Amino acid sequence: MTTIPYIDMLTVMIVFGIGLYTLLITRNLIKVVIALQILVKAGMIALVLAGRINGQVMTGQSIALTVIVADTIVAVIALALAVQVKKHHGTVDLDKLRNLKG
Amino acid sequence: MTAQTALTLLLAIPLGAAPVIYLAGRIALKTRVKSGGASARILAVLALLAAMVPLYYAAMHFTSTGPLTLDINRISLQMDGISLLVALTALILGLCVTFFSTKYMQNDEGEEKFFALLMIMIVGIIGLVCATDLFNLWVWFEVMAVSSYLLVAFYRSQPDALEAGVKYLVQSATGSVFILLGIALTFAQTGVLNLHEIRLAVSAGGNSPIILSASVLMLIGFGVKAALVPLHTWLPDAHSQAPSGISAMLSGIVIEAGLVALLRSTGAVIVSHTTWGYLIMAFGALNLLVGNLMALRQTQVKRMLAYSSVSQMGYILVGIGVAVYTLQPEGAAGGFFHVITHSLMKGAAFLAAGALLYALRMAHHNHEPLTVSDLDGASQRYPVTAFFLAVALLALGGLPPLAGFMSKWQIFVAGFQSGNSLAIALVIFAAINSVLSLGYYAPLVNRMYRHEPSDLVKEGKPISWVMVLPLVIMTVAIVALGIWPPLVRWLTTPAAMSLLAIFGG
Amino acid sequence: MASILIYLVIGLPWIGALLVWLAGDKRTTVQHILAILFSVASGIAAVALLFNTSSTTVINLDAGGVFGQFTFVADGLAVFLAVVATVIGSLAVIFSVDYMHGEKSLGRYYAMVLFFIGGMAGLVLTSNLLLMFFFWEITALCSYALIAFHNDDPKAVAGGIKALIITQLGGVGLLAGALLLFSQTGSYDFNRMIADPGIIDPRILSGMAFGCLVAAAAKSAQFPFQTWLPDAMEAPTPISALIHAATMVNAGVYLLARFFPAFKGVPGWTTAVILVGMISAILTAIMALVANDLKRVLAYSTVSQLGYMVFAIGCGGVYASQFHLFSHSIFKALLFLAAGAVIHSVGTRDMRQMGALGKQMPLTRFVFVIGSLALAGIPVLNGFWSKELVLEAGLQHGPIWAYAFMLLSAGLTAFYTFRMVYMVFYGKPSSEKHVHDAQPAMKVALIPLAAGALLSWLLAGPFSSLLHNSLPAHEIHAITTTEVLMEVLAAPATYIALAVVALGLIAWWQRQHLGGVAHAFRWLTAAAENSFGFEAVNAGIVRLTLGAAQKLRTTQTGLLNWNIAGLLIAFIAVILILVVRG
Repeated sequence: MTTIPYIDMLTVMIVFGIGLYTLLITRNLIKVVIALQILVKAGMIALVLAGRINGQVMTGQSIALTVIVADTIVAVIALALAVQVKKHHGTVDLDKLRNLKG
Repeated sequence: MTAQTALTLLLAIPLGAAPVIYLAGRIALKTRVKSGGASARILAVLALLAAMVPLYYAAMHFTSTGPLTLDINRISLQMDGISLLVALTALILGLCVTFFSTKYMQNDEGEEKFFALLMIMIVGIIGLVCATDLFNLWVWFEVMAVSSYLLVAFYRSQPDALEAGVKYLVQSATGSVFILLGIALTFAQTGVLNLHEIRLAVSAGGNSPIILSASVLMLIGFGVKAALVPLHTWLPDAHSQAPSGISAMLSGIVIEAGLVALLRSTGAVIVSHTTWGYLIMAFGALNLLVGNLMALRQTQVKRMLAYSSVSQMGYILVGIGVAVYTLQPEGAAGGFFHVITHSLMKGAAFLAAGALLYALRMAHHNHEPLTVSDLDGASQRYPVTAFFLAVALLALGGLPPLAGFMSKWQIFVAGFQSGNSLAIALVIFAAINSVLSLGYYAPLVNRMYRHEPSDLVKEGKPISWVMVLPLVIMTVAIVALGIWPPLVRWLTTPAAMSLLAIFGG
Repeated sequence: MASILIYLVIGLPWIGALLVWLAGDKRTTVQHILAILFSVASGIAAVALLFNTSSTTVINLDAGGVFGQFTFVADGLAVFLAVVATVIGSLAVIFSVDYMHGEKSLGRYYAMVLFFIGGMAGLVLTSNLLLMFFFWEITALCSYALIAFHNDDPKAVAGGIKALIITQLGGVGLLAGALLLFSQTGSYDFNRMIADPGIIDPRILSGMAFGCLVAAAAKSAQFPFQTWLPDAMEAPTPISALIHAATMVNAGVYLLARFFPAFKGVPGWTTAVILVGMISAILTAIMALVANDLKRVLAYSTVSQLGYMVFAIGCGGVYASQFHLFSHSIFKALLFLAAGAVIHSVGTRDMRQMGALGKQMPLTRFVFVIGSLALAGIPVLNGFWSKELVLEAGLQHGPIWAYAFMLLSAGLTAFYTFRMVYMVFYGKPSSEKHVHDAQPAMKVALIPLAAGALLSWLLAGPFSSLLHNSLPAHEIHAITTTEVLMEVLAAPATYIALAVVALGLIAWWQRQHLGGVAHAFRWLTAAAENSFGFEAVNAGIVRLTLGAAQKLRTTQTGLLNWNIAGLLIAFIAVILILVVRG
């Protein structure tokens, strides 16, 4: 096991934190999608990092690449839904997107 | 047919059928003006029927020689007891849903997409439960998730369906990142991804904060899909707004598949199975209470059924939790039995409610939700469908001679056999919750058997036999399992053994 | 032979239920005929089973694993109750031909009645505690479906759901008992435990004993679960006669009687049983004094009489309790069916709107009076003998204060019975409406029951040998009818009881002169009219649950951020739990 790269770990935590924090406070659906993207980036860095820590750089990176593919699909769907939401609700404000509750 | 071929075909047939269905639907739509979906519908049903054949061979191989494995490049799959049980349930429920939807979705815009996505979802479920390494697990999970996002938001012009789809997507995708982090931590610590090898490395390495965080991250991530309270908030929205067939799939098998993923992944990384058993039982208790209380005051039929799924998940969790705690198979067998019965009962309930929704509202091009008062006197006009819905509801409430009674019973027995006073208290709590759940199932049954029909029922359209046939099959299964539960022991016992293997018992 | 008969007793009504349902509501005549055929056939099979009793297991289906062996035993207690269920079931079905004439959804009605008859027979014939619970819940399901048969009436629906929830809640006790038995012995066969209670850890046995007591109290509408039975009177009257007087409500008493040899050694159990029976008997007897709804009076009286049976078991009088159960099934079914004939004809259940019906309905009056005399415990009807046996058991083996209360309720029984008969058939007519007497099919059902109420006590001897021969653990002595009669006639308890009953009658006769006494007990009657606060407790629990549910709904905010917060909260909570637990 090589030395643990603390800076990189800190980066993962900070990026993840920013993503999660945004998800918790923003009321804008587009920003939610962006926050999801930031969140996934944290996951990817973590995977690459994990590969580096245990010396399997290839595996870590190939996993990260697969995640990029999957994540792109999700992002596309999320944005497509956001467009439809804007079209049918007339807004992307989460406070207005609360018909389903209770 | 060799085991490998069987397993390959099991995945390849629906996966290959998906694009064919889509293209056939598109081509038909381009060349003919109407009924573009006909070829898509027929192909979908045929594909699932065809997939039954390799599953039969796989099951034969499994019962005679044990788990069968398949390695294609880096993808490694193994069919053990759990995979067989979930795959069979998914295919049977999928077939019922597809057949039902050939009428329900008829001539809806994008019908060919619906069936193609449904195929992908079923493949995702089967792949998910067969995956043997952590990352494959995640990929199959995403396949299942992505197809379900699109299916939940299938009615793109319905504001509520869109809202549900968006919320489901965001919450589920967030959970998915939690899983990724968990995978990264596990991979960093152990250097392997195969679940079995991870298990060996973890038990050799002992307790470490990294592995502990990884287990919790995966618990939360997969827990979103498995609808553990308080991660369940997407479920009532998504299940109530999706097309009824999809509601049946989501409640009947998708959340259970999420639970299997949860168990497989966390089973590899936990250190103390007793603590983990307690944790699962605690979630079970929460699910029971919150699901039942939330369902008690619902006025929309499908939303009520959705909350009921939250509480039914609680029974499964109690059974599995007891098994994980004691490392005895009985609880797991009960939990998996409940997976089967729940998919039948909830599938039948959602499909019957869907058939009524279709006849009462959608046939009039009305997309408002079906409320309980709309069903007043439904039995006068739709005696068969109302009867099947009543049977499904009473089965969910745990009344004999219906399947829900027996699967709950097996779970309860396991709780008492554990001899643990907390588990026994939990069983009593679960039994009281079962009584409480009758407080919302029974009034709906009574409403359907009124003599004075509601205005909607008076103007309702007839229900096609295509929608009734899946209900007949499921109801017969519900009654048969209620009277003679050993019918599925060949499925539940190996599944329980596989679960114990996952948790190192 | 016995195994085939058991299959027939349970299977025939169930096949009949399916056929009636399939026949469809358009062919009502076919439905009537099918229902009668299958219920009577099942009754005949049950009677034939009387001659094939034994204490050995006659059917054994291996369901394996946690479901155990599905076993059935045709012992005396089981067969006797199966006969009661199927024969009175047949009579109720025959009665229904006239009573339910012209009703909608006849298929659902008959299917549920037949399903119930089979389920009740199964409940008593099985020796597997899982199956017993299985049939137990089936009877609850049928009871619920039939109480709420008139689904358009919110009172009927509420009554049905109340009955379902309360009996199910009590059923949790039986569930726990069954699970404890299985976890201790690895089998659900309770006969092993009854033969030798020592195989079970005393603490576990105590848990089982009290669990079964809770279940029995809920099923038999005993204190503190008695509130569901009066509300169950929304059911069609043949159902009240069959399920809520003659059969299902006896399941609790059956359970206690069946397990008495195993549980009698549990500290405090017999006292608890005596208390439950005594409180039920006295409370509901008082409530019957002030009720004005004919069926509710009968319902209260049923609870009260079931209290006698429970009390007798607590005092060790298993034979007395079962004999009273036998008598009670006959005379209470008779009273309910006769009341049904009255209600069918008058169109109301309020006794204040009846009066002087006797002249127009002579046959109904005749059988009703016979039933009432049996209920009040007047010699020589069947109720007299069995009630005396119960009281004698109480005097010999029970605490004296409990005996005193039971005597008091015997007096009250006589009082409310005569009040009821007077209000319905005598006194001043309250309307000029023309009423007609019982119709032919009703008569077919009423006359055998009236004969039974008059003569069934002659079976006391054969009944005791039936129980004695096949129930070794219960220590019931085989005695002849003459011995039973001599025993009753020689016991001082009999004359005390008769004196109290006579006092009750005199009190009714002289009611005008007892205004002062009535005035002094005004608080008591007021409390009785409010069901001693039990309804308020029920309503409170329901309100609390619904309120909690409504409050919990605010947690589903519909705000996406909050959904995500759920993830974070759960994550932190689980981490904390794991860190704290290590």
